[in-house]
Amino acid sequence: MLRRHLMATVAGALLLAGLSGQAALAQEKKLTLLTWNLPIYEEKFRGWIADFEEMHPDFTVEWLDKKGTEFGAFYQTQLVAGTAPDIIDVQGMLWAEYAANDGLVPLDPYLEANPEVRDRYNAEGMKLWQYDGKQYMLPYYFSKTLMVYNKKLFAEANIDAPPSSFDELLDAAYKIKDTGEGRTGFITLNFDWLYWPLMAMNGIELLNEDMTEAAFNTPEMVDVVTRLAKATTDGAINPISWTGRWVEPNNAFAAGDIGMYQGHGAALFWIMGQADWANADTLGVVEWPGGWGVPNAHGLGISASTEHPDEAFDFIQIALNDKWQTIMADNFTILTLNNSVDEALIAGLDDPLKAATLELSLANMDKQTGNWVTPLDARIKDAFWPDIQAALLGQRDPAEAIADAENKVNRVLRRG
Amino acid sequence: MFARKSHREYLLVWLMLLPALAIFMLFRIIPLLWNGVLSFQFWSPTKPAEFAGLYHYEEMFLYDDVFWEALVNTFKYMLTAPIAIILALLLALLVNSRIRGRGIYRTIIFLSYPLMVVAVGIIWRWLFDQRVGLINFSLRSFGLIDEPIAFLESFATALPSVIAAAIWQIVGFFMIILLTGLQSIPQNLYEAASIDGASRWSQFWRITLPLLRPSLFLCFVIGIIASFTSFDLIYVMTGGGPGHATELLITYVYKTAFTLTQFDYAGALTIVMFLLFVGIALIGNLLAGGDAGRVDIAD
Repeated sequence: MLRRHLMATVAGALLLAGLSGQAALAQEKKLTLLTWNLPIYEEKFRGWIADFEEMHPDFTVEWLDKKGTEFGAFYQTQLVAGTAPDIIDVQGMLWAEYAANDGLVPLDPYLEANPEVRDRYNAEGMKLWQYDGKQYMLPYYFSKTLMVYNKKLFAEANIDAPPSSFDELLDAAYKIKDTGEGRTGFITLNFDWLYWPLMAMNGIELLNEDMTEAAFNTPEMVDVVTRLAKATTDGAINPISWTGRWVEPNNAFAAGDIGMYQGHGAALFWIMGQADWANADTLGVVEWPGGWGVPNAHGLGISASTEHPDEAFDFIQIALNDKWQTIMADNFTILTLNNSVDEALIAGLDDPLKAATLELSLANMDKQTGNWVTPLDARIKDAFWPDIQAALLGQRDPAEAIADAENKVNRVLRRG
Repeated sequence: MFARKSHREYLLVWLMLLPALAIFMLFRIIPLLWNGVLSFQFWSPTKPAEFAGLYHYEEMFLYDDVFWEALVNTFKYMLTAPIAIILALLLALLVNSRIRGRGIYRTIIFLSYPLMVVAVGIIWRWLFDQRVGLINFSLRSFGLIDEPIAFLESFATALPSVIAAAIWQIVGFFMIILLTGLQSIPQNLYEAASIDGASRWSQFWRITLPLLRPSLFLCFVIGIIASFTSFDLIYVMTGGGPGHATELLITYVYKTAFTLTQFDYAGALTIVMFLLFVGIALIGNLLAGGDAGRVDIAD
């Protein structure tokens, strides 16, 4: 008797749970937003979500944020589990890998239906997220590498103007090094191909035009790497250029003993926040010889696994509308590639160094380098860099290192 | 009657083991088997799997220089265990002797062990720093070097530097194990040896070392396992660089899967790593007399 009662109670509870679960599923429509290391911006993300939920009261939006080092692993495991976040904020070339594997929704149908959205953006900038003729992301924020120079050290070294060629660059680096102990002429950030303007200004290409073969094993490349390595071992180039990531090179430049620095506007502003001496009187900013620069861009896109692509696009439109992008730009003094927002940002800046940095970041948008739209970007980078790094640090013969790197890159390209 | 009772006991034992076995299956066995399957496929999160045969293994053994570099580095990194054991033995002998304040010394030496590995990595990264690191500062202050050494940035010094940090962390733990072993050696053996005229050196070789064998073996096994799976220290201190100078198999597996999105290839690397680990465990077991881990069940 007792057993029968127990069975009936359990069956009833299970039925009830099942029905209420189904009802909940029927009511709940959900989007997930994954952002890239911006917990500081939480309040504004909540604002995006509030605006979206006002437009779509039947939806809820969950916000997740991951550090850059965790982002790829997290997103890929979510993909495998079939629970990939619907809307993602991605940096660098990761998006191309997802797009090439049909992991992202092409946005072209939405942009054709809403041409005013496409028209908001810098046309060259939009190309950063085009793969196989399709647009996969919309610009969220953007910066580009520039040359920042220390005016005091330039004056001490009797250098009148920033270098306009590779020869002048090395010459200036040696002159600055000679002004005193502990001084070095030049430092660069090196992750994500950020050093590539040094190659681009010497006419060196990483890959051939259809990106099927390495193209960098040339006498010019051997010469450039040899000279960079010599300047590094001589102390004209700071060795942190080839070993540090973000904090180390920025801290080194902020110490005030380095003449020239290659980094993004965002990194320069970070340095200005760290070092009291760093301002428009002490620092100058110009483009690299040849106008080359490496973009560092974030875009918003939609995972192909989403059940609600239309609503996800609505969300992106809200997140990237003029209101929210103006807040973004003002908060971080950063470009958004939204033309009107960027113009207003630059016009409203009091600091001439910051204004010049942003203006120059938008110049020569057709000369962006270190930005090969290929799903193999990470693997090519991994195959290319270790040998070249050893050569740049003077620990390997440049010609041999370049030949080894070429073999490895070609193997990656063949393997696909 | 007896058989029925025995059957019930077995059932009880298995029921008690079931939760642990289920967790072990879920988080160890199934992922390992899945890795095995993956290693014979072309697979990525957004692509359907295709049979790859031995492609990944061929790639690994014949073409992948980084795999070989990581393998060699892993074996070099294992030197952490014997070096740390020798140092720990010396320290244990020291703090086991009748010196003043030995309790304080023991505590100080052990302090490094409970620290989080990430904290150890950060501490040592700062110690080795080229510009502001204490090690470079000290070496320059004593006039031992003219220019600061880029310990973690040089292809030659990065791995030894990371090994030094690993040794620093584990040596205190080994010392405690060996100290316990030392204190369990009956004093009358030493007294008898002294009466027979054995020197201190002879006592060490004939009494201390043989009786410390179980403790030494335990340290060795823990040390080898720790170095084979030491991911966090490398990740924090060097990220496997410069180049791949401090890449271990474990960091290479992670990088291949989650940075380069080659889960299939990472699966093959994991299988090779697992087989190596099994090999090392078997050798360790043989060295220990062939019955390490045996459980004697009392009647």
